[in-house]
Amino acid sequence: MDKLASHVEVAPGVFLERMGLFFEDVEVGETFEHRPGKTFTIEESLRHTLRALDQSPMLTDLNFHDQCEAGAWIINPLHVLAVLTGMMTKTFSRIVANLAWEKVEFHEPVRDGDTVYAESTVLEKRGSKSRPGQGIIRVRTTARTHHGRLVCTFERQILIYGRGQGPYEAAGY
Amino acid sequence: MSEFLAYIETGEKRYRERFGLDFEQFAAGQKFKHRPGLTLSQQDSRDECLDTINAQMLHFDEQFAAHTEWKRCLMDSTLTTKVVMGMTWKTFAKRVKLLGFDEITLTKPVFGGDTLYAESEILEKADAAGKARAGRLKVRTVGLNQKGEVVAKLVYGLLVARAGQDDYTRHNY
Repeated sequence: MDKLASHVEVAPGVFLERMGLFFEDVEVGETFEHRPGKTFTIEESLRHTLRALDQSPMLTDLNFHDQCEAGAWIINPLHVLAVLTGMMTKTFSRIVANLAWEKVEFHEPVRDGDTVYAESTVLEKRGSKSRPGQGIIRVRTTARTHHGRLVCTFERQILIYGRGQGPYEAAGY
Repeated sequence: MSEFLAYIETGEKRYRERFGLDFEQFAAGQKFKHRPGLTLSQQDSRDECLDTINAQMLHFDEQFAAHTEWKRCLMDSTLTTKVVMGMTWKTFAKRVKLLGFDEITLTKPVFGGDTLYAESEILEKADAAGKARAGRLKVRTVGLNQKGEVVAKLVYGLLVARAGQDDYTRHNY
């Protein structure tokens, strides 16, 4: 099966949508551009901030926020990181578990109305000794706004299934 | 009597709620136990996925999850991260900027119905270059479940406002 295929022909003329790369499909140095981008609004940032129990005035009091050093309304950086992680799930969906984020840097803030796009480059891959048929990949993700402003970079270590492994066929995926 | 006050006395028999320590009040080695905790449901995780365009069905397709080693849907780790950080706000409300994470490590799976608590330790305290109104902290925050097991470990840098001369005082905080 071509690793880039979007559908599997499960019966003549019947196509099942598929998504995501297995461990063998990924090569060090490859870069994947994630789509769609996402437009951030201050309302969603407020909602996610409050739902995480956070009431910092920096993130919840727009009157305060608009006038202090940070300037006009910024989107909660944790929500930005969450969306960037979500953007990665179509290419990196064959995941056993998300192990860690590292070197997370917030360069310029994402502001109300900004649209953000992300891309990920594979830095390393190694088979798992304790989990046959699975492997760990390390990727570096870079996110920019539609203006091209660099907003966030990070690395992730992800444990992913090898081909033929995982619950996919049994679960109808 | 605590050295940290929950109110500012703004007049006779008049008190204003205050949150967050000033930079001067932090010291390396301090530990904070944050309250309240938060019980997360599987619906919270589904909402987080839908809001962050997260296509990882392990978080929202129970039938798929039943075929994995976890046997049920895993909590989206971006929600765990947001909540663990959000629960710290009453101590770190005067953060001016989240500088970035050295690491976010997910040490145990979280499931719907689990209750999370956060604890933090100040690892380093230093002046911030070019910043008279704020100083830099390095903090380690851990997320604990109802059994006291560490489910997430986060190490990050913060800029925290100094006493008196900050935006908070000017804006009646």
